[in-house]
Amino acid sequence: MAMLLAPAGSPEALEAALDAGADLVYIGLKGWSRGGARGELDWQELGDAVDRAGARGVKVELALNTIPKPRERAVLLDQIPRVMALGIRTLIVNDVGILSMLRGRYPQLYLTASIGCGAQNEADVAFFRDVGAAAVVLPGTVGPDEAAACVAVGGIAVEIMLHMVEEFVLLGKCSMPSYVHLRPAAMPGGLTDLTRQTGSMKRGGVGACYKICEQPWYLEDGHGRRETQMLPSRQLSRIGDVAGYVAAGVRVLKLQGRSLPPELLGPLVARYRRALDDARVGAGTPPAAESVLPPSWTVVGR
Amino acid sequence: MASAAVAFELTTSVSNLRHLRASDLGAYDAVYLGNIYCRLYEGNLLEHPAELREAIRVTRDQGRQAYLTTYGAPRNEGLRVVRRALEVAATEGVAGVEIHSVGLLKLVHDEFPRLPVHVGNFANVYTDVGADVLKAFGATRITPHYELTLNEIDQIARSCGLPLELLVHGKMPLGVSEFCILVEYEAKWGVRCPDLCQQEVFLRKQGWGLKSVGKGVLSGHDVCMLEHLSRLRAGGYRHFRIEAVSESPAYRAAIGAVYREALTRAMAGDDRTEARWWQAIRDHARLGLCNGFYFGQSGMDYLPAHDNRTMEALP
Repeated sequence: MAMLLAPAGSPEALEAALDAGADLVYIGLKGWSRGGARGELDWQELGDAVDRAGARGVKVELALNTIPKPRERAVLLDQIPRVMALGIRTLIVNDVGILSMLRGRYPQLYLTASIGCGAQNEADVAFFRDVGAAAVVLPGTVGPDEAAACVAVGGIAVEIMLHMVEEFVLLGKCSMPSYVHLRPAAMPGGLTDLTRQTGSMKRGGVGACYKICEQPWYLEDGHGRRETQMLPSRQLSRIGDVAGYVAAGVRVLKLQGRSLPPELLGPLVARYRRALDDARVGAGTPPAAESVLPPSWTVVGR
Repeated sequence: MASAAVAFELTTSVSNLRHLRASDLGAYDAVYLGNIYCRLYEGNLLEHPAELREAIRVTRDQGRQAYLTTYGAPRNEGLRVVRRALEVAATEGVAGVEIHSVGLLKLVHDEFPRLPVHVGNFANVYTDVGADVLKAFGATRITPHYELTLNEIDQIARSCGLPLELLVHGKMPLGVSEFCILVEYEAKWGVRCPDLCQQEVFLRKQGWGLKSVGKGVLSGHDVCMLEHLSRLRAGGYRHFRIEAVSESPAYRAAIGAVYREALTRAMAGDDRTEARWWQAIRDHARLGLCNGFYFGQSGMDYLPAHDNRTMEALP
């Protein structure tokens, strides 16, 4: 049965997601998630979140989806027993090597290949299954029919990020921000002797992507033509396809938005809750208008 | 003092048969055939099996090895197209297939086990442990992600034991998109797809510059490692690439000739550069030069080999 996975970038957002009917929530651990300036919780908040979610029968998934350098990787691996002691068993990771390493050391973990892994097709899904992922996240650009083909691979749960910002460059395939600015920054969470790569979409520090996509550029050719050019993007909301994804066998419907404040997150989760419940009883969801992007819409704001 | 010469391989990339026929491949050892960005690219060899077969023949007739590249971010439909190209590659016995999707690595490993697989930039090899995983799936060569520094690449090289292919010159691929930002200018510019993305089109903003190929974004500055070849030699690297998929045959020939000579010299321990090499590089670099991420800086910056020199002071 498909479940609804909601973001929780703050204790208040967690409460809103729970109130709105999320089946699962995902949280970034401060310093170790691609969140950057987006919501991350520290250890104390994480422990509280696990307790509060658990009291309502909701499991917490933990995003550990930066790609640390080897020295930092050792520190990350040292955190895993503490994560497991909190009762967390699902980790979202972003590097195939780290995924494989965790699979070998902690066979009891349920490991999800993050949307940042760039999986888009059935062969990618099969690859992540073979590496030991229990689930793989595909972008909402993958429609129900394609998702069904991915589900048919078998042996791995398929998740769809069906509410997300579709940026110009595909997730997991973008180095534009770091081309302009790449600056190692001190790791938050008390790990002051470590750094993470601010500006790298893939490795971490997404919170400072410098909004490369958001700004107007000039498009120039060799014939003197010059046009103002915004890089295309859209708020992808596939609420009208929830029934299709459920029928396709998608296991988890995931919502992007760890930066969302509770007053926005709650209604969003509630809308998808209704759509999923309708789909379960065979009722259709009326088509929804495409959401309008907020003024600041890049990874910082999504 | 020159030392014994070390063999190396210099590769480049060509999207279609027309460009291949117009290109002097004399400087290169091997050519990646196909365009990774767009299925509509003029004569994309990934889409035309008969032309791919002919391109392999043309490449070999020039005494070069043929490699096949594949799409940067294929969806399911793209897999079917690539599988057809792989069948040609397998039948013709190409020397390698480059993949940018880990799923394609598995697909080639399972269905075309005799084809050597090169892992490309967009497959996201960021770690030594990641390289080990891909090696277990049959990868025979890896291009570490372009965001890595040389020190990080050294670590991968030591760990995985596979040959690593490094970009030494050209516009560095930075992104793959499902949108084409150029197609809206068909009417306004009077240039139609698939000719639009073969124009020299740059995205500019203040001092920033990116090259657009419609559904792909590349660095506006040309990555240039001419001054740093001794560092690459010392690191044990022997496979080098000039990224020219969006460039003219003239670019491919001129820059290839520079690096053939420079690498030959560098691999023999002679690090001197020639003013005429710099002139050729300048002639073909529209927005200037950069080092990519090799030295830990932002990708668009240029770091001269000698700290007391600025890029403007290069020969």
